[in-house]
Amino acid sequence: MMLKNSFVQGVLLIAVALVLALVSNGFASRTRRVVLVGYYPDALVVPPRQPDTPPPPVGVAAPAPVTTTVAQSPAPGQPPMAVETSTIARPAGATTTGGATPAPGVVVPRGASPPTTTSPAGAAAAPQVPVPAPQADPIARFTPHPDKAYVEISGDDAALLYSKGVLFLDARRTSVFEEGHIAGARSYSVWEADVDDKVNQLYEERSDPSEQNLPIVIYCSGGACEDSHMLAQKLWNIQFNNVYVYKDGFPDWQKRNGATRTGGQP
Amino acid sequence: MTAREALTHPWLTVRVQIALGAIFVAAALPKIADPPSFAHMIYNYRLLPGALVNITALLMPWVELLAGLALILGVWKRSARWLIGLMLAVFMVAITINLLRDNAIDCGCFDVSAANLTHEQRIRDMWMVLIRDAGMLLMVAQLWWAEKRQKLVVGG
Repeated sequence: MMLKNSFVQGVLLIAVALVLALVSNGFASRTRRVVLVGYYPDALVVPPRQPDTPPPPVGVAAPAPVTTTVAQSPAPGQPPMAVETSTIARPAGATTTGGATPAPGVVVPRGASPPTTTSPAGAAAAPQVPVPAPQADPIARFTPHPDKAYVEISGDDAALLYSKGVLFLDARRTSVFEEGHIAGARSYSVWEADVDDKVNQLYEERSDPSEQNLPIVIYCSGGACEDSHMLAQKLWNIQFNNVYVYKDGFPDWQKRNGATRTGGQP
Repeated sequence: MTAREALTHPWLTVRVQIALGAIFVAAALPKIADPPSFAHMIYNYRLLPGALVNITALLMPWVELLAGLALILGVWKRSARWLIGLMLAVFMVAITINLLRDNAIDCGCFDVSAANLTHEQRIRDMWMVLIRDAGMLLMVAQLWWAEKRQKLVVGG
């Protein structure tokens, strides 16, 4: 009888704990909340992409289209941002929503020069003047790779892509992001409940298939950190085909004296 | 007074009960405050399927808190003791499996922020966690033994 009572009490205690857990999660702030059923695939072993995955497959409800602008100054009520001096800079006017990439939809083999297109009509009308050979675009080798969820890149490559205005995503926790992140990077913590909404928003921003071939760089804390790889899989599953994981992450960026920023804004 | 009487003396039992309860309350609070970080810790153990990581991260700290409070307050002591003993056994199995895999992880027992440690430091910490959990299991055993002995005495 006593054993039965203890069992019932134990079950009751767990039931009360479950109710409290659900209520506390419901009232938790955005950065402290988790979805009840998480999606955490093995970050380093990528299953093949589903052939007929209807985008957007991430999350439950597709969000309304949004327009995101990258704030260069803190919004009212936001903590001030501190920009450090750096040796790695973005070009003037560069935004984080795009990048200097091969022409949309054009796949350039690694190491090859960008393709040139000639118009028959234009060729007929154009005067016969020598045209200087086009400079090879240094990021032309970062071509879409739909067969791979991500490609790991070094700090040199990350700096190159950064200088071309490529979008950077920070997969670490928001609290860590606010302590310091790559200037212009957006916070996409895979452990927080709103990551799927953010991925869906990005999909809406880049709804054109050609935009989904633009490079995206993801980083976390370097070392054994796998958050970037997890986020890369989420992006790949929603049809982003040109995702790079900056493996050495933020610690390496700081060593390189790259541009950093504190606060919640990119 | 014999050693057996000393080890099951109510003076000691009450203090062990309160100390064990306080340890579990202290362990639960940081996890309740930051479920995503605790979910990350649970993921690092690589024992649960991804779908169960978050619900475990939400539920386990509250069970720890309620069981710890029950011990401190002296209500539902027996069920709280069994739950704590069960959790300790699960923690020890999880740590042992990862030690055998040479998977160096932060235990996430009292602190859910990732520590900046080397592989060797983490492995050493995991051994310390095993010893600490074994010590807490001994506290559970003391409570069980004292209750059993008290029943014998009361029963005549």
